[in-house]
Amino acid sequence: MPQSAVLKVKDGNLPNAIKDFLKGLLEKNLVEALLVPVELPSGNNVMLTLVTKVEKLEDARPLAPVMPVNAAKIVSTLTKLAPSEKKIGVILRSCELRALTELVKLKQADLTNLILIGIDCLGTCSVATYGMFCRENASPAEEFLKRVADGDDSLLREACRICEYPAPINSEASDITIGLIGMDWKEGILLQAASPEGELIIDALELGAEGDPSQREAALAALTEERIRQRDLLLQQTEQELKGQDNMLQLLAPCVACHNCRIACPICYCKECLLDSPTMVEFEAEKYVSWAEQKGALRMPADSLLFHLVRLNHMATSCVGCGLCEDACPNGIALMKPFRLVGLRVQRLFDYLPGRSLDDELPLTAYREEEFGELGYK
Amino acid sequence: MSSGNGTKRIGIFVCHCGLNIAGVVDMEKVVTEIRKYPGVVYAADYQYMCSDPGQNLMREAISEHRLDAIVNANCSPSLHEKTFRNVAASEGLNPYNLEIANIREHCSWPHANDPEMATRKAIAIIKATIDRLKLNAALEPAVIPLKKRALVIGGGIAGMQSALTIANTGYEVVLVESSPWLGGHVSQLSSTFPTLDHPACLIEPMMAEVASHPRITLYAYAEIEEVSGYVGNFVVRIRKKASFVDTAKCDNCGLCFDPCPVSVPSEFERGLATRKAIHIPFAQAVPQRPVIDNESCIHLIRVKSQGKGDSRLQTPDSRLLDGSECRACKEACPAGAIDYSQQDRLVEEEVGAVIVATGHDLISRDVLGEYLSDPDIIDGLQFERLLCPTGPTRGAVKRPSDGKIAKEVVWISCAGSRDTERGVPYCSRVCCLYVAKQTLLYKRAVPDGQAYVFYMDIRSDVMGTEEFVQGMVEKSRTMYLRGQASKIFRDGEKIKVWATDTLTGKDIEIAADMVVLALAMVPSTTARVLARKLNIICDQHGFMTEAHLKLRPVDTLTSGIYLAGTAQWPKDIPDTLASASGAASRILSLFSRAVLLHEPAIAFVNERVCVGCEQCVSVCAYKATTLDPDKKVARVNEAVCEGCGACVVACPSKAMKHKNWTPRQFFDMVDVFAQEYVGEG
Repeated sequence: MPQSAVLKVKDGNLPNAIKDFLKGLLEKNLVEALLVPVELPSGNNVMLTLVTKVEKLEDARPLAPVMPVNAAKIVSTLTKLAPSEKKIGVILRSCELRALTELVKLKQADLTNLILIGIDCLGTCSVATYGMFCRENASPAEEFLKRVADGDDSLLREACRICEYPAPINSEASDITIGLIGMDWKEGILLQAASPEGELIIDALELGAEGDPSQREAALAALTEERIRQRDLLLQQTEQELKGQDNMLQLLAPCVACHNCRIACPICYCKECLLDSPTMVEFEAEKYVSWAEQKGALRMPADSLLFHLVRLNHMATSCVGCGLCEDACPNGIALMKPFRLVGLRVQRLFDYLPGRSLDDELPLTAYREEEFGELGYK
Repeated sequence: MSSGNGTKRIGIFVCHCGLNIAGVVDMEKVVTEIRKYPGVVYAADYQYMCSDPGQNLMREAISEHRLDAIVNANCSPSLHEKTFRNVAASEGLNPYNLEIANIREHCSWPHANDPEMATRKAIAIIKATIDRLKLNAALEPAVIPLKKRALVIGGGIAGMQSALTIANTGYEVVLVESSPWLGGHVSQLSSTFPTLDHPACLIEPMMAEVASHPRITLYAYAEIEEVSGYVGNFVVRIRKKASFVDTAKCDNCGLCFDPCPVSVPSEFERGLATRKAIHIPFAQAVPQRPVIDNESCIHLIRVKSQGKGDSRLQTPDSRLLDGSECRACKEACPAGAIDYSQQDRLVEEEVGAVIVATGHDLISRDVLGEYLSDPDIIDGLQFERLLCPTGPTRGAVKRPSDGKIAKEVVWISCAGSRDTERGVPYCSRVCCLYVAKQTLLYKRAVPDGQAYVFYMDIRSDVMGTEEFVQGMVEKSRTMYLRGQASKIFRDGEKIKVWATDTLTGKDIEIAADMVVLALAMVPSTTARVLARKLNIICDQHGFMTEAHLKLRPVDTLTSGIYLAGTAQWPKDIPDTLASASGAASRILSLFSRAVLLHEPAIAFVNERVCVGCEQCVSVCAYKATTLDPDKKVARVNEAVCEGCGACVVACPSKAMKHKNWTPRQFFDMVDVFAQEYVGEG
């Protein structure tokens, strides 16, 4: 079985090449449905769409540099109640694949009968930026890729600018990877199988020559290094900016308690959030007044700091840094930075990388006899 | 939603605890402040609320002021929560409408130097407890059925003592012993200190009684495969190992032993003699039935390997035998009892409680590098076999290497014990005394012999043993030398021992005929695996850990499972039997009830909110939480949950809650403290 193949780009049209690959999956019955971003009639946004008919793939935009919803969340919607009986192919960016891995560990998604297709992602822009970009460019995805590859990251969301995983990392969960980084997009891109299912696909599509991953690996290493540099720079700065309760309060001051950040977050999986439950929100006026009396004034809606700190606490080990919390905020609170900063610190404590492997136990519920020796628990 | 049940009539009882609390906290101020707190209808203080007059004061106040909820401010709830809840119950209150505000361990003791702050904190603690109490629900204990049948794991002296105590009280016992015979290490001893009794006199009557007891089901040569369930309702799967001898047919004629061509070192004689593949370890073994060891029987090895690999075995007389052809024991058996086709069998037993009495082993000599491997360097248990009249030398102290009587013998105490570098840090507790006993018996067996003992200290704290050691030294003229051997090596016929006597500072060299190592006691090798099956805890060495060293010394943290003997830590025979009797009496007290009542302040699930992420399942140390496979929501087994709250912490949506410790109660309490200390940084 072939481990990899070069997906030829005809007439230099990269989006069409990937679209043809997806069509092949449906035509050859390798999958019964595909979850892919499809362009909206307005022509300035995409939305994940479950496609079963080949002709509906005409509007598929797998390269669209925008992520209105984290696909892991949609996979959870599809498979939480019961494993899928139909074979479904899903296209996932690195952060989506990592979030999905976490959701599987949290029993909120099931990979049975899913064909996971990881795709390199150089970064995404906000929905609004993408809309503008579509109006200005005939082939927005290609233009966007070209600009980012040439070193212009001004269009990227901040989360993407510091994303150190532009390529899918959990090869064990995915079946096949579409490699873009370091490839000549006018000629051909790399398909790499990560499972027997993936090998079957490459074989069935009769793509011909095996690909050479070395070029992609070199480019990926360079990009990763640069991203880590950017990340550390930004997080160092964040640490200074957010030190202390007053600075956190200042960051969260515009919070209107809409809790959209919780809804956008792929990891926030509770059916009823404690912070929206009667325990936290149903109090009599006199209780609020008694709180007001403590300091002479009570900002309403109350408990913004509590809400965000609890969410931070709950997410810290599994946060994949997709940054959708920040995109979802109507008042533009820069939530991604504290979540990445705290997440990275906590994850390092446990030598845990969310989304790395299905076999890594969730650190807060796994018991290890030998840990935190430095705290004296020996 | 209401922030409290406004109708509760709350009474507060503040205890001085002599001067423990009142010496720091201003009692009068506390009572005055608390009287003003919303919901409080009565508050009083008293010198010792736990005393009879104190309890009477509570009773009178409850009825006079029609109190229906109470906060007792005193010491930790682990001490008197039960006392005061009983008082409340005696006046018709639900005991869970009484909570303790700990103003001693949490307040007066740590803040003894700052009475003003302590008084303020005591008031805050009581107020917070009042706010928690306002949302307390009246709880009723869960009723759990109880199977009045016990499992004892281990058929040594501890297991037998426990089993007999329970069985003789009238309850059924299932006794599981991993070796084919009862008796454990005690059956290997030559005599016991300080009385020099013959161990057979201790255990043979026990072995006989166990074997014939109408209420004891004995599974010898059997292992615990799996344990499920919980206190009152354990289900145990037991693997009965194949003995390849049909006990119904075998009449113990013994004709099978001699024809067996295989000789291997005898475990019972600790390698000082050999046994056959089909064997009984000693004449009085119970049950009295031979077993074929499938690790050494050449017929069975051949069958097991199914023609693969080398089925032939080197026999001591250098003949090579093809195993499949050997049917020596079968041919010799007049009763037709040999059955090579026997398989392990799994049986299931239901019991209400378990005693773990799996005993100990000796530390491996391999970890103690300086004691080289030499046939004349033996361990204490081997020396017991040498001294034993029924042992390999019929009680003569002969060197294993050449059978000569050992005229100079050196004992090394603490071989592995109290040795943090190579051995174990703890004291094995029995070695000082058995070494003294062995030197005395050695002197009796070899009157012209000389015994030397290298020791660190002599520990003889058990009644009668100090006198025993002193008397023995006078009688046997044993040379006690304080110091550890620095080098032991063979020098021709002799074994040289180099050491420094730390009392005189002199270097010593002894040319000994034999060296006896008092090896450290360590847990039996299977202890950790068994502990995992039972969901009980082992310490860093592998000894099973009790629930509380002082208050619950034979309980484990898993209710219904108890410890006996050296599975817990090194013990001598009296301590072993005391713990075995203690464990049995804990089970008898459990069985004295019609049903089990379980503490109701435990976790419960809000199914509507639960997302089935199973984090509560991973963190539960008691295996009380499971996932309902159909509804995909968590379940709490009321009989097993100990109310520790770990699942509540793990649950992000707080679908998992703790009865009378709900998130709202926590927040209300935090609120009280926040109001008290706001603006103080």
